[in-house]
Amino acid sequence: MNTPALSAVSRAGRHVPDAVRLVEAYADGRDALHCTFEFVVPPAGGVTARPGQFFMLNVPGAGESAFTYSALPDAQGRFGALIRKTGTVTAALFASPVGSVLGARGPFGSAWPVEGLQGARVLVAGGGCGLAPLVSAVRALHGRAGRLAVLYSARDERARVLQRERAQWARDGIPLLDVLDAPHAIGPVPHLERVQAMLGGLPQHVLTCGPEAMMFALAHSLVQRGVPGEHIHLSLERRMHCGTGHCGHCYIGGAYCCTDGPVLDWPRVRALLGHAGH
Amino acid sequence: MSCLHLDSLTALRAHLARDHALLQVKADSDGNRRWMPADAGDAAPAGGQLPDFSAKALLFRERENLFTFDGSVFREQRPQPRPTVLFGVSACDLAAIHYQDRFFADDPWYRARRESLLLVGIDCLAPCEGGFCPLTDSGPFVRDGQADLVLHADDAQAGGGWLLFVQTARGERALAGFQGAVGADSTRATLRARREPGVVSQFADDGALRAGIAALNAGTVAAAQWQRLGVECITCSGCSNVCPTCSCFATRQESGAAGGVGTVRFWDSCLFEGFQREASGHNTSLQPGARIARFWSHKFGDDFAARFGHYTCVGCGRCDRACPSGIGAKATLRRLGGQQPGVVTTAAVDAAGRAGAAS
Repeated sequence: MNTPALSAVSRAGRHVPDAVRLVEAYADGRDALHCTFEFVVPPAGGVTARPGQFFMLNVPGAGESAFTYSALPDAQGRFGALIRKTGTVTAALFASPVGSVLGARGPFGSAWPVEGLQGARVLVAGGGCGLAPLVSAVRALHGRAGRLAVLYSARDERARVLQRERAQWARDGIPLLDVLDAPHAIGPVPHLERVQAMLGGLPQHVLTCGPEAMMFALAHSLVQRGVPGEHIHLSLERRMHCGTGHCGHCYIGGAYCCTDGPVLDWPRVRALLGHAGH
Repeated sequence: MSCLHLDSLTALRAHLARDHALLQVKADSDGNRRWMPADAGDAAPAGGQLPDFSAKALLFRERENLFTFDGSVFREQRPQPRPTVLFGVSACDLAAIHYQDRFFADDPWYRARRESLLLVGIDCLAPCEGGFCPLTDSGPFVRDGQADLVLHADDAQAGGGWLLFVQTARGERALAGFQGAVGADSTRATLRARREPGVVSQFADDGALRAGIAALNAGTVAAAQWQRLGVECITCSGCSNVCPTCSCFATRQESGAAGGVGTVRFWDSCLFEGFQREASGHNTSLQPGARIARFWSHKFGDDFAARFGHYTCVGCGRCDRACPSGIGAKATLRRLGGQQPGVVTTAAVDAAGRAGAAS
């Protein structure tokens, strides 16, 4: 086999979780906890994750699920995740007191292309808890993008998440448009005129995460306005068991969300889903 | 790499069995053909007689312990299998292992099991029942580099015997000290060029299957046709279980005997309705047509073939034998290519029943 040696294959933190401690958890939106974890034994060399990547959280006795980093691992090995209570694993997490030892594998997947957005007009558009994968991108783009605007839409007031982060963006002077969905105008599309005014023109690049219908409508509308499709980046969500491209659960057409995604550009998403785009 | 001539396989198996567990396809007491412990004196393996199940389960276990958690630390459970020789693996099953080698290249559990295996392939000299390996370039002769050693029944020699081709350095090491063979003047390339086309010509015409693959990749299969196929699938997972390349799995946690928590993985099937269902209830493959389209696109889709350099179907024909609904690979491809009538309708069954009652 022309493959790497077995000894090089099994890396701690990729196939087998590192032990992490839940050091903080506070309510942050409906049925959502914003958690901070730290490695019990910080991995040698640290953990380098990029905005938009995810990790597999292991709640012993319950299972593993994929979560995006709301805060990337820092020099002390602390990282954050916004977690909604939706199933067995998250229910077990919500029942875990601060101080509990859990597990984490990662980072996995593709990242937002923040390095290439120097000086550009960038729109960050999140829907509901889809704002979570975008937080670290906003952090990375602040001061780097030429113009940056955040458009955040939520179903109602209680569905809004990441209150501390949004407050921080306001203090940092990052233009933020918080909107609630009108009954027949769901998502950010009705607000694009205001966003263009905030950016001083059509966005040159777009990062978006939220319900797929919302993202697809946004991408379609932006392409119609003249934004190149390959400049529109979406973060998709699928069920995952491994994070390494093996279990098969997260397939999107001929790709795997965990290794090819979760961040994909609009033409690729359209090709994978066979989405007509209109 | 070299070629040897052997009068029989007895001495070779005895030699390999010194350092390996020896497995060979044999019939069990129920007549099922499967990989079983063998002795040097057992009947020689026969190319073209596939086991009911491929060697997949020896590498990608139906259930594998991954790691444990003792309350403070996660520990990998790496298998430590005994060195084993699979003696007489058919070309299609070797092609499947070759694919899995690439797919699971960075999977420590698969790799630990794979590195314990010495593969002795065997050329098939006639088509097996239902096999269509030439279509997927998986046989009938063993492909280069897919086995450590390859056996070929040598009917060119008076008295028969076997040609043994040494294909890898590992195969060469396994033969160190083996005295039961003499050098032979043959190469795989010349043997395949001389003999394989004649064997391939004995396979049934596969034009209808190629038409199905073409339709699948052209995107001309209507969603309604996928849905018709999908509703015929009873989601028994027989096809994915017997398929030598299917590799989907799920994980779950189990309480360990020592009070810890173990994480295990076990075979899953993308044909199950809940395969992609998320915790929220959102399910992107709720429709059976979507699931069956994806299953066959994975096997014969150009995008997957480009990614792995090969269709993920090796043409062994097991799914056609296993499927209670009659929608294995060949049956499905014929329908996709428009060469075979579709569903047997209840009206047709009723009509047949009336005809039978009247006679």
